[in-house]
Amino acid sequence: MSGYETPETQDDSRFWDAAAEGMLVFQRCDRCAFVRWPAAGVCPECLDRGYTWEEVAPRGTVWSYAVYHRAYAGYLRERVPYDVALVELECGVRLLTTLTGFDDDVDPMGAAVVARFEAVGEHERVPVFGPA
Amino acid sequence: MAAAQLGGAIRGRTAIVAAGNTAQGTIPGISADELAVEGLRITLAEAGIDKSEIDGLITCKSFGGFGIDTEIGRLAGLNPAYSATLDYGTCNFSLHLACAAIDAGLASVVAIAYGTNQRSAGNKFGHPLGRQDEASVYGFLNVAGPAAMAFRRHQHLYGTTEADLAEVSVSQRRYAVDNPLAIFREPTSVEDYLAAPYLVAPLRRPDLCMISDGAACLIVARADRAAELTDKPVHVMGIAQQTGLRDRQNADQWLRPWIQQVAERIYPAAGIEREAVDALYIQDPTSIWVLQMLEYYGFVEPGGVGEAFRSGAVGHGGRLPLNTNGGQLSEAYMWGFLHLCEAVRQLRGEAGARQIEGLRTAQYCSTFGFMKAASTILSTEAS
Ligand SMILES: [Zn+2]
Repeated sequence: MSGYETPETQDDSRFWDAAAEGMLVFQRCDRCAFVRWPAAGVCPECLDRGYTWEEVAPRGTVWSYAVYHRAYAGYLRERVPYDVALVELECGVRLLTTLTGFDDDVDPMGAAVVARFEAVGEHERVPVFGPA
Repeated sequence: MAAAQLGGAIRGRTAIVAAGNTAQGTIPGISADELAVEGLRITLAEAGIDKSEIDGLITCKSFGGFGIDTEIGRLAGLNPAYSATLDYGTCNFSLHLACAAIDAGLASVVAIAYGTNQRSAGNKFGHPLGRQDEASVYGFLNVAGPAAMAFRRHQHLYGTTEADLAEVSVSQRRYAVDNPLAIFREPTSVEDYLAAPYLVAPLRRPDLCMISDGAACLIVARADRAAELTDKPVHVMGIAQQTGLRDRQNADQWLRPWIQQVAERIYPAAGIEREAVDALYIQDPTSIWVLQMLEYYGFVEPGGVGEAFRSGAVGHGGRLPLNTNGGQLSEAYMWGFLHLCEAVRQLRGEAGARQIEGLRTAQYCSTFGFMKAASTILSTEAS
């Protein structure tokens, strides 16, 4: 099989490792600049395989959010109620996350937000978002 | 390719000749595959069709990977000319595959058999832990999460209220009062709904379906065979599908606007106007799906769902009956199979106390998660 390169297994660990250091990084396509998330071995826009991990601006807006009052898995029992949000980043990625730092009387829908890196449950330093 | 240029116009060529199901609820001690065979047995017996007539078998996987054609064919003692298994067997997709197989001459009488023991198996629809991903880190489990986010987004865009959403489950429950198959049959009200606690805000228990054990089966036949097998064929007029396979890269992922492309195709395929639909069936694992599809298929204006129910445009007692079985919110999840069983029964005049008089045309709209949508138009007449 000369000339055939075994495809690199794509996983998101680079993203989580960077988050632990306070950065948001994604794969950016070397050919068309599309930002991939989750990590993938091929660009869904131009089908090129080349990419570079790049840090992106940690800013976006709240697309929507939901508040879990029920724990659908045991590890979430001590966390309820908790929110889950989808943040639309300036780089185009929509990132699942949680919201922090909003006053109770503020509806965060559509709000401009910026990433903070904090513990969520047992996870150390993952991106969460609060008022910009 | 323009929407109308895609196929799906199968009127006059394919008909449903039988629909049946087991009870729903907790049915311990019987496997999902055995339940599927029990559903097949009941359906054939009720229709007076011998299993030797079947030359096609379509199954779909249930929770835990059960439901493949090779297992069910073996248990049911069938050697059909054609068989297939869908990983995402939600009812419309199985029906469409049956119609396509018949149209291609691969089979002439196709059984669609689905069985599940998700309730006994304790499927909580939680996300598996292990690989660190966003869903597990942030606790984004169960379809209630994306559904809740979709509804809050809808509220943000159109000003929809929780009282508007309440109308969906309240209307459907009114039908379920007359449906012995339904798990939830107690009548409810908008006030009851608003008094219920949140599960995943802004959704409450009445917005989510009940997982059950059970089985359902439909027999689909080429027109000439249908005429031999029943004097009450329900004709499949048109079918249409659209995918959103790019999933999270699609704009407004959980709102699924690409469903509108099915709406563009289904009425030309069936050769009818939307106004000719006498009864509507919308797969409803969550009430949000009803809201979305009423809008995407053009039955109500965006943001107008609550008013459409209150004014009597749609729903129980309204001009357009919707989910006359009570839907998944009252009956059981069953991957949408019971909607199609109900549509067939209504069109045949066999729906008992909840029978709507004078139905000729019914439409069934469904989705598979956030990746596929399908619609079928059924009629008592072949053209
Ligand atoms: Zn590219």
